Amino acid sequence: MQRHTMTMAPGMSAGIAYAVIAGMLLSALSPAAFSAPRDQAKRIHDRLVGTPPSEATLNQMAVLITSTSDTNGALQAANLAIDRTRTESSPFYNVTLKNFATPWTNRDQTVFAPLNDYTATVIGMVRDDVPFNTVLSDDILYTASSGGAPAYSPANNDHYQYLEDNHVDLRTALQQTTQSSLNGLPPAATAGVITSRAASQAFFVLGTNRAMFRFTMMSHMCRDLEQVHDTSRPPDRIRQDVSRSPGGDSRLFLNNCVGCHSGMDPMAQAFAYYNFDETAGRLVYTQGQVQPKYLINSDNFKTGFVTPDDHWSNYWRSGQNSLLGWSQSLPGKGQGAKSLGQELGSSDAFAQCQVEKVFRNVCFRSPSDAADRGEVQRIVGVFKNGNYSLKSVFAETAVYCRGD
Amino acid sequence: MTHNISPRVARLAGTALLLVLGLAGCGGGAETAQNPLTSAPTQPASYTGPTPATADIQAFKISVWDNVKADNRCGSCHKLGGQTPDFARMDDVNLAYQQALGVVNLASPADSRIVTKVASGHNCWLADNASCGAILTRWISDWASVTQSGGGKTIQLTAPPLKDPGSSKSFPVSPPAEFAAIHNLLKANCAGCHSSQSATQQQPFFASSDVAEAYAAAKVKINLDNPALSRFVVRLRSEFHNCWAPPATSSPDCAANANVMQAAIQAMSNAIAPTQVDSTLFLSKALSMYDGTVASGGNRYDTNVIALYEFKTGSGNIAYDTSGVEPALNLTMSGADTSWVGGWGIQILSGKAQGSTAASKKLHDLIGATGEYSIEGWVVPANVTQEQAHIISYSGGTTARNFTLGQTMYNYDAFGRSSTTNANGSPALSTADADEDLQAALQHVVVTFNPVSGRKIYVNGVFTGDSESSGGTLGAWDDTFAFVLGNEVSGNRQWQGTFRLVAIHNRALTPAQVQQNFEAGVGQKYFLLFSVSHLVNVPQSYVMFEVSQYDSHAYLFNTPKFISLDPAARPGSIAIRGMRIGLNGAEPTVGQAYKSLDTTITDSLYTATAGQAISNVGTIIGLEKGPQFDEFYLCFDQLGSHSKVCSTDAQAVAPAVANVPRPSDIGVRTFEEIAATMASITGVSPNVTAIRNTYANVKQQLPNTENFGGFLAAHQVGLAQLAISYCSALVDDDTKRGQFWGVPEVLNADLSTQGGLDRLINPLLDRTMGLTQLASNPDRATVKSELESLVSTRLCSSGCNATRTRVVTKAVCAAAIGNAVTLVQ
Repeated sequence: MQRHTMTMAPGMSAGIAYAVIAGMLLSALSPAAFSAPRDQAKRIHDRLVGTPPSEATLNQMAVLITSTSDTNGALQAANLAIDRTRTESSPFYNVTLKNFATPWTNRDQTVFAPLNDYTATVIGMVRDDVPFNTVLSDDILYTASSGGAPAYSPANNDHYQYLEDNHVDLRTALQQTTQSSLNGLPPAATAGVITSRAASQAFFVLGTNRAMFRFTMMSHMCRDLEQVHDTSRPPDRIRQDVSRSPGGDSRLFLNNCVGCHSGMDPMAQAFAYYNFDETAGRLVYTQGQVQPKYLINSDNFKTGFVTPDDHWSNYWRSGQNSLLGWSQSLPGKGQGAKSLGQELGSSDAFAQCQVEKVFRNVCFRSPSDAADRGEVQRIVGVFKNGNYSLKSVFAETAVYCRGD
Repeated sequence: MTHNISPRVARLAGTALLLVLGLAGCGGGAETAQNPLTSAPTQPASYTGPTPATADIQAFKISVWDNVKADNRCGSCHKLGGQTPDFARMDDVNLAYQQALGVVNLASPADSRIVTKVASGHNCWLADNASCGAILTRWISDWASVTQSGGGKTIQLTAPPLKDPGSSKSFPVSPPAEFAAIHNLLKANCAGCHSSQSATQQQPFFASSDVAEAYAAAKVKINLDNPALSRFVVRLRSEFHNCWAPPATSSPDCAANANVMQAAIQAMSNAIAPTQVDSTLFLSKALSMYDGTVASGGNRYDTNVIALYEFKTGSGNIAYDTSGVEPALNLTMSGADTSWVGGWGIQILSGKAQGSTAASKKLHDLIGATGEYSIEGWVVPANVTQEQAHIISYSGGTTARNFTLGQTMYNYDAFGRSSTTNANGSPALSTADADEDLQAALQHVVVTFNPVSGRKIYVNGVFTGDSESSGGTLGAWDDTFAFVLGNEVSGNRQWQGTFRLVAIHNRALTPAQVQQNFEAGVGQKYFLLFSVSHLVNVPQSYVMFEVSQYDSHAYLFNTPKFISLDPAARPGSIAIRGMRIGLNGAEPTVGQAYKSLDTTITDSLYTATAGQAISNVGTIIGLEKGPQFDEFYLCFDQLGSHSKVCSTDAQAVAPAVANVPRPSDIGVRTFEEIAATMASITGVSPNVTAIRNTYANVKQQLPNTENFGGFLAAHQVGLAQLAISYCSALVDDDTKRGQFWGVPEVLNADLSTQGGLDRLINPLLDRTMGLTQLASNPDRATVKSELESLVSTRLCSSGCNATRTRVVTKAVCAAAIGNAVTLVQ
């Protein structure tokens, strides 16, 4: 909802204010072909950090850009812009990365959601170059040391809300720790951001825990269920709550429902021991005991699958979704969220998705043509071979879209 | 080949008997506490012959003889001196009993000679032979339940005939030339969504411009053996899905579209020779559903049923009351959209099924006699959004009723007139909102009423917890109302959904009885015995499924077991892996729940009476030609020592990706970037209270995407407020102001001179645009000129004193940091 009210600074009349607006609008744009190194440097900085560079930084980046005949100089310039040791890079962590990750943490996919442990962990992993393919499986969490901030609590978001409200510089304040040391989960039950409090609150609340799978697919595999629809997978793991004849018409099931549930249900089984307790405001993990939400509406299809444990299987390793590029070094099945997170994080689609998300964030467009797609593939290679450094992906992408 | 399993029925040599308890988990046999009240229309004089000699003869008399002896039933011919057997003779019930034993099968009442004869058309007293058969079956079951009290109902497993799976047409590996015509139709009319190149792409991508991708996706939508049943055709012809205007016409024509599509598929089918089922695969023998042994019926608790609808007729517009309780309360289906559904049932989407008030009066009379009742239904609500929808009603309109079962979204509502309610049966008893008991799936719902505890609602055999504190009496019931399904008698309480069974009882069913009827299930169920004796070294061995027609479009395959009809047989150790259900010579793509199966039949887990379960899950398989013609078989990747993969997944085809024009490669900063940019330029902390408040106020008014096209005037208004807030804080902070503008004090600048304007504007431009001109920035001189003009012609047109200069400084600062130079990136 946008507001159209206007508040005045002290001492300013409405007439002056509107004159100011008129003056702003008069500053017409004059986009030109960007070729000068300083223009390239400015765009790289703008796109990565979100703020224009200082004169000194601009000069320094321009010099780097011209220092080589290939793109290595530009890459150095980009790395300079987001160098965690430089104060001027702070907005990359506080603004760019935060807004990059925030939509993944809530069902509305809004960027206006508060800072939380999910976004902080993404920011911290990028800052510290933690291999990003562990984002769905590691026992990792970032909190901040900041005077006045309430301590991290698994039962509320106060810690992160304080950090955001008071513009605490996450570039310096974030500290890596483990989830298991703070939220009481056994280390084996942690699964990166999947078991963060924010994700739990958004996707383990109520329902059947399928939301966690769907939103993880959307945010980290860049595919909603429509894009992985495959009716040819065996339906033997579809739970009892899915009617095989919705409203009395089994064609709906045979042509639609089965296409998603046949693959989703055997993987979402990994979350069988998780729930979000709304009253306590925290994630609940019941090792060895399947959450009742997995067994609801059991009479909708009595001989549907009854979840006995958190054993998951990836049926999409065969069929059309084998194109997602699952790792051949993994078995494609396992127990619990951590191994499922590894399965997803090790896929080609995961790496491709991270690069495409960064591409859209930095270049303001999806890969549009053969040149773009070729570059995305190259950066995917850099990402995978570079120990899954997402920071490198930002830098590489900013170089590609620096304008030339 | 047959086999005896139950010693108790060893006399039935040549048949295999299996306890239902062991087979299907059904409850114990139906017990008969009392006979339903009956009043046959042309009842002869009361019986004056010898009293029944045994309890069994007494049961025969009450359950069967009293019902058939009338001269408008069997008594018309099968009487003393009439046609033999004279089981309806009036003179001596003991002699009638002797004759009846020759025409009934108490172990399987539905298989009684008397039932099959009447059901096949022998002097049925109703218009529907099947309904007469059902009624006779019920009478004999009542007799049998007394005779065999304490025993489970037995199911006879009979070895089916041995048939090999037939041939069928299969898809070539690569698209045949004839696919081009289909592909052209799809590309022309479906590519708006079903293409990977579409902006609104929706799987499957059968309209992709890439023929390989389209072919892979189109296969499951094409029926080569029967093109008219192809999803592509059905989707157009029967479901009216996005039809298009044929050439030279202006309006969509689904029938014409379907014909064109069918012709194209037919042409492709004609070009493909039927392929025999691969004889090298390891297949079971083939069966149709009707080759199986009937597994349903007989386990319900129907002792007090006074109206029963099983919807077996399948055609016409009469749903027969097969309770056997006279008068029959048959229902007439009327309305725009009422239809029979496969596997027994009727669907009402618009209309109703209503009985006459005269016949409905039996509900009033028989329930009035006991003061109790139960409304029972197996129903499938079409959706969970309908409200004020009456499912089962005995009423006179929207304001007066005896009872009604209704739906309000996820809730069942029970209205019941009694001395504690008004004439409309209100207040209604509803299931709790939070429970969402009603689902758009096949459900068993029962409402019971008794004078002490009132109404209770049961869903799927379980008491929902919804009840009332007291009941009352039914003296105020109105006998002029009519019984109706799917609507109100007045036609303005439409319920959309499917009925698979409806029963009215004149007793409140107990929780155990409700559970028994739920466990009994509904619909035609068959045990299909797929012979695998030729593959494993076990005599008379089968993989047995419980199969039913699930609805009009699918079969339900449940709980497969390995079993031998030879009680002495032992399986040893037989591996079963990758079992597929074949249909009409081909393996359906969808629903292969046993494809991942990997288990072993072993002596330790196998029992002669129950076999060994292969899987606990069920699956549905799409119906193709109907239960009479569809032929099923099983294929095994491995069965015992035989191993060959039945089928493999098609090679995945990567979707083709189309090029799209690159949009503008510049955009606007988003909300937080704008704030950070202003903080960076001015050096003012965002934690300043005024700025924090302004930002909180305008945060969601600022752009949230970089997309230029989404930038609106409202965004600029918010941006201006934030710029003013930052500049106000900057100018009012002596230290920050000094750092920004340096000395001399900018607030002392004479803005009427060029020097004063330079003093104010140049530092702003240096900080916002840099010291050197960038090609991507606006021209510095032009911007400066605009700002100078802003001061001289607007802000200071009447001169600026010191106070005014402070305000003007803030304004010019805001104009400098809040324009496109900082907004665009």
